Amino acid sequence: MKTPANEPWIDRSVALLEQSAQSLDAATLLRLNRARQAALAQRYGHRRGWAIGSGLAGATLAVLIAFGIGHRLHAPAGIKLDAAEHTMSDSVALTDDDSTDIYENLDFYVWLNAEQHGND
Amino acid sequence: MLADSLSMSVHERMPARAATSMDDSRALEQFLRGIERRALRMTEFASGNREEALDLVQDAMFGFVRHYGARASDEWSPLFWRVLNSRINDWHRRQRVRGRWLGWFERSDTAVDDDPIAALPDPGEPGPLARMADGEASAALETGLRALPLRQRQAFMLRMWEGLDVAETSRAMRCSQGSVKTHLSRALANLRHSLEAHR
Repeated sequence: MKTPANEPWIDRSVALLEQSAQSLDAATLLRLNRARQAALAQRYGHRRGWAIGSGLAGATLAVLIAFGIGHRLHAPAGIKLDAAEHTMSDSVALTDDDSTDIYENLDFYVWLNAEQHGND
Repeated sequence: MLADSLSMSVHERMPARAATSMDDSRALEQFLRGIERRALRMTEFASGNREEALDLVQDAMFGFVRHYGARASDEWSPLFWRVLNSRINDWHRRQRVRGRWLGWFERSDTAVDDDPIAALPDPGEPGPLARMADGEASAALETGLRALPLRQRQAFMLRMWEGLDVAETSRAMRCSQGSVKTHLSRALANLRHSLEAHR
């Protein structure tokens, strides 16, 4: 069966169309090339940009996490140090010689206090 | 041991992924490079203007790469033509709205001679382009193609020139396979009639 595609005038039409497509001028081909490159760059450039953006965001997050963890690790140590300092100062106050004088002269201080209240 | 094998498999996989991406990119570029000239000529027939045609083809390339670039390569051809035809159809609608429509780009389908016997080719006749020189035949063909209604021209170009089958053409034109056959049959009859007038 003869299909339209077998007809000589159609074959010649297709050949002429192909010829016209192959004989496009250099400026048009250059613009087609630019259009193609831009379309491809959009896909692969976008993917690269997304990867770079993700990397930067990840790095920023990692720095923030590290900073947060460091701060948390250092903060309790500071608190512990302060507490230790207070404990040390209390223990020093209780054990030094001046403090023991208070206990030895406690009767005197009780009398002094009673005298002051009596005068008031 | 397990760690070694795991790290090996990761290292082996990484270049493979990169190579696949490079291959995809190269395949996509080759596909577009192979189709772009025909796409431009077809769009030029539709728009009647090379500048407009270049813009439309570029637009279609962007849309195609963005939406269908990740599809299997054997699906690319009808999908690309689908995107391009969609851009051309939108362009025609905009042109109609702006009132800048040139009558000789489109002729109503009602003007088509629907007589099926008249449309049948004569097997003993060499055809309308047989006695024409290349330049003359090209000019006649261009005039004939531009005179075709948009859908008929799309059906002719995709089926006869691009070589898509009926199913692929229907996908590209977003219509039924029966419509493709009808558009093509009318396109052939109209084009033949138009080319015969140049003899």
